[in-house]
Amino acid sequence: MKIRQIVILMAIAIALIAASLWMGQQAYSWFPPQAAAESKLIDELFSFLVTLGTFIFLGVTGTLTYSVLFQRASKYDTSDGPPIEGNVTLEIVWTAIPILLVFWIASYSYNVYAQMAIQGPMEMVHLHMPMGMESANAAPMSQTKPVEKIEVLAKQWAWVFRYPDQDVTSTELHVPANQRVRLALQSEDVIHGFYIPAFRLKQDIIPNQTIDFEFTPIRIGKYRLTDSQYSGTYFATMQADVVVESPQDYNQWLAKVKTYHRVPAYNQAASEYFQTSETDKVFKTGYPTVAPAVPPLVNYSGKKESHS
Amino acid sequence: MTNIHVEDINIAREKPHHEPPAGWQQYFSFSTDHKVIGIQYLVTSFIFFLIGGIFAMVIRAELITPESDLVNRTVYNAMFTMHGTVMLFLWTFPSLVGLANYLVPLMIGARDMAFPRMNAVAFWMVPVVGILLMGSFFLPDGPAQAGWWSYPPVSLQNPTGHLINGQVLWLLSVAISGVSSIMGAVNFVTTIVRMRAPGMTFFRMPLFVWAVLSAQIIQLFGLPALTAGAVMLLFDLTVGTSFFDPAKGGNPIFFQHYFWFYSHPAVYVIILPVFGIFSEIFPVYARKPLFGYKVVAISSLLIAGVSALVWVHHMYASGTPGWMRIIFMLSTMCVSVPTGIKVFAWTATIWGGKLRLNTPMLFALGGLVMFVFAGITGIMLSSVPVDIHVNNTYFVVGHFHYVLYGTVTMGIYAAIYHWFPKMTGRMYYESLGKLHFFLAFIGTNLNFLPMHPLGLQGMLRRVSSYDPQYTFWNVIASIGGFLLGMSTLPFILNMIGSWMEGKKAPDNPWRAIGLEWLVSSPPPVENFEEIPVVISEPYGYGKSEPSC
Amino acid sequence: MDSTINSHHAAEHTHDEEGNSMFGFVVFLLSESVIFLSFFIGYIAYKLTTPNWLPPGVSGLEIKEPAINTVILVSSSFVIYLAERALGRHHLMRFRLFLLATMAMGTYFLLGQATEWSHLSFGFTSGVFGGMFYLLTGFHGLHVFTGILLQMIIFARSFIPGNYNSSHFGVNATSLFWHFVDVIWIILFVLLYIWQ
Repeated sequence: MKIRQIVILMAIAIALIAASLWMGQQAYSWFPPQAAAESKLIDELFSFLVTLGTFIFLGVTGTLTYSVLFQRASKYDTSDGPPIEGNVTLEIVWTAIPILLVFWIASYSYNVYAQMAIQGPMEMVHLHMPMGMESANAAPMSQTKPVEKIEVLAKQWAWVFRYPDQDVTSTELHVPANQRVRLALQSEDVIHGFYIPAFRLKQDIIPNQTIDFEFTPIRIGKYRLTDSQYSGTYFATMQADVVVESPQDYNQWLAKVKTYHRVPAYNQAASEYFQTSETDKVFKTGYPTVAPAVPPLVNYSGKKESHS
Repeated sequence: MTNIHVEDINIAREKPHHEPPAGWQQYFSFSTDHKVIGIQYLVTSFIFFLIGGIFAMVIRAELITPESDLVNRTVYNAMFTMHGTVMLFLWTFPSLVGLANYLVPLMIGARDMAFPRMNAVAFWMVPVVGILLMGSFFLPDGPAQAGWWSYPPVSLQNPTGHLINGQVLWLLSVAISGVSSIMGAVNFVTTIVRMRAPGMTFFRMPLFVWAVLSAQIIQLFGLPALTAGAVMLLFDLTVGTSFFDPAKGGNPIFFQHYFWFYSHPAVYVIILPVFGIFSEIFPVYARKPLFGYKVVAISSLLIAGVSALVWVHHMYASGTPGWMRIIFMLSTMCVSVPTGIKVFAWTATIWGGKLRLNTPMLFALGGLVMFVFAGITGIMLSSVPVDIHVNNTYFVVGHFHYVLYGTVTMGIYAAIYHWFPKMTGRMYYESLGKLHFFLAFIGTNLNFLPMHPLGLQGMLRRVSSYDPQYTFWNVIASIGGFLLGMSTLPFILNMIGSWMEGKKAPDNPWRAIGLEWLVSSPPPVENFEEIPVVISEPYGYGKSEPSC
Repeated sequence: MDSTINSHHAAEHTHDEEGNSMFGFVVFLLSESVIFLSFFIGYIAYKLTTPNWLPPGVSGLEIKEPAINTVILVSSSFVIYLAERALGRHHLMRFRLFLLATMAMGTYFLLGQATEWSHLSFGFTSGVFGGMFYLLTGFHGLHVFTGILLQMIIFARSFIPGNYNSSHFGVNATSLFWHFVDVIWIILFVLLYIWQ
């Protein structure tokens, strides 16, 4: 190939790389805040994939665009194009490079997964299954013992959190910052999904099993927990707030809430179901549905949510 | 003299047949002509495409506001369940089978499929499936509402206890659809392996035929797993067995394995023929041979093979053990290699050609570009840590709609426009076709691109209401959706108007190379007066000798 | 020249129909075996992962009767092979005889299965074990029944004069189906009765 062609190609490649790197940086802004230690790892991995993807997309689309703009048949030209049937070198190159890329992406992903499991702030999923379905078992990261198990009960359609040491129940999940938290996930009825977007963590909850789930929140604030595995009629309403606070605030909250009487928590599914006069829907009629569980009796229920 | 002798032999050996009903009545009859059956599939599936599209309009209308304020939540859940079910089982699968039915015998120089009567039986099961599914809307319990996956235990919850309910009808429909598909698969594989014209070796077959062969092999070996899981779920639902009910000691994750063991390869059953369509179209409108034909042909088989080994990537968050997640991550990423080869081959086919931007080429180009995007988001999804965040969010919905609409539906449109003259003997209206393309291309991107940031932000799929922070992108997506709905209008007008009054089409309006272009438009009942003898590779553009 | 090639191929084309049918039938059987394979894998997975595998009060399956049934069924494969061979040599009477014997053996197997079912203390809904047991044996039994039906059909058709002069596809397919049913049973027997 001529020098001129090579120079042009290099210039295009550099422009593409620059655009891709820029896009990769933009990717961070597409995420919710990084509230758990795992969040950083995942955002970086995703940014890398965006960079790579942008390069490939611009490369292919750019080539096609050039063709469409500049390689059209002139109106009365009915002849064919050149009878090029292949090019072995090119085909080997565009097979080998993707294979290498696949290995690169796979090993980077594996590393991230391994870090999430064994180092620093950890995510551990331990399933109590009778037979070999073992989790990514991992050594504790540091001397800090995990916070006591918080029990999470999912049911159609509410989240109930129980702090077994203090026997406190709540529909709002409070956790201390910078300490490992260990949840015991259980479902009373169907498969639910425990998902906190800000933590980038998700785990399906299978009925008749207790699934242990660990992570380390790092950023004080209020986040959202949503049910991520479709669980029936009021699936979209099954949400709860997650409050990450300093260990002092956390202990204070526990002590205070322990003194509260247990009252029914606000539960959106139940209130929608039991209100016979439906909220403003254009088309009111529906099909028979599983009835929501009665609103759980808890010490603390947070503010009444007015989401949808 | 000798020719007449040949035909005498044919008539003597064939059983006498009745004159088939001519005109439009033949499309409502039990015709065994693959060309009639192909069009029956195409028209029937398009009607269901519109029905599935109406469900999508309801979904997008609900999601234009954060609150659940349009329809009852149970109705919404039925909408997304039936939208997915109809679009997959009654639009993409049958329309591609219809195209294959019409084209494969012509492309290989055969007079019909290997088993014409079984072909007709397989088709007529499709309206039955449609009636069952649409009928479920009239049941007191309504249609199935557990998503197109029907995961237990949700799909086993039968609040009224009625034996005949939407979920049962759904399972029966899937079973019947499976029988129809297996019949088709046996037919296609036999036809392609045994009925190619003399001289047409495997490596002289058009790539669409390679694609159909690969796809139907997947059907043969993947569908039975879904059937098995569906049968077990049906027993759980109707008779009270314990296969997937955790309350009775069953294992709901096993259903997921049965389901995805087929349903992942199923998406390749859908995409492979579309890849075949692209491979047929690009050479014609770039006037160049397909780049790397042999490798592209083999890549179809490779994709079919590897696709059987990736299903657990739908279950990364289900509680699968770490080692399983990693193995399937690797196998999933491997699929991108033969797929990438195809993309590069098409790009190289187009590069340096003499392009004509007719409607089929526009749809194919648009489809290719959107497929590259979809492939990239697919690689992202295959990475376990990323998927743990975006699994079950709108990121996934965006990804697969770029495939199913952006690539598959655009590809089907490309094929319909491209072979419309051959099938109907009429030319379609080019300007309406271009209008359709632009509306569809813009609508697709407006509808599905915003789903990616929504998913990254944590918006879940299948929700009838959402946090107000997600409103902006949802409004954009809904506008795109309505635009997509409207884009079908110029297409429908074009099809009906052109079929009735379009300019008469010559045998080969695109000056394309292929056996189907050797015969009249539309082809005679027996396809070829004399079975052709093939003497060279396909896509011989730019060469001076004729190919047949 | 062309017309010679074409007339040759046109003739070849119609001759090929029986070959096409057999090819298609084999392809179908391969696909059908995947359903059984799916059930087998499910059985293995359930057995390995379910606590309290057997229903209360059940300690295992009686193996003697099913073993006898197995011998009968597997032998019947040889018998139908003899029937096929007899037809190949145009010995119609012998063909019908061996076919009747096959049907009898198949029926004996089905009756044996029904008898076993009626004596069992657990049902279809008795946990995962009950479900898989009846699913596997029931689905297989359905195939045995279908096989016997097919045999009845080819038996009846043997009375149509000249029916088997040229094409033996029906007989070959029925026989192959029967062998298939037998192989499935052998695997089933090993999984359900031997591996306890």
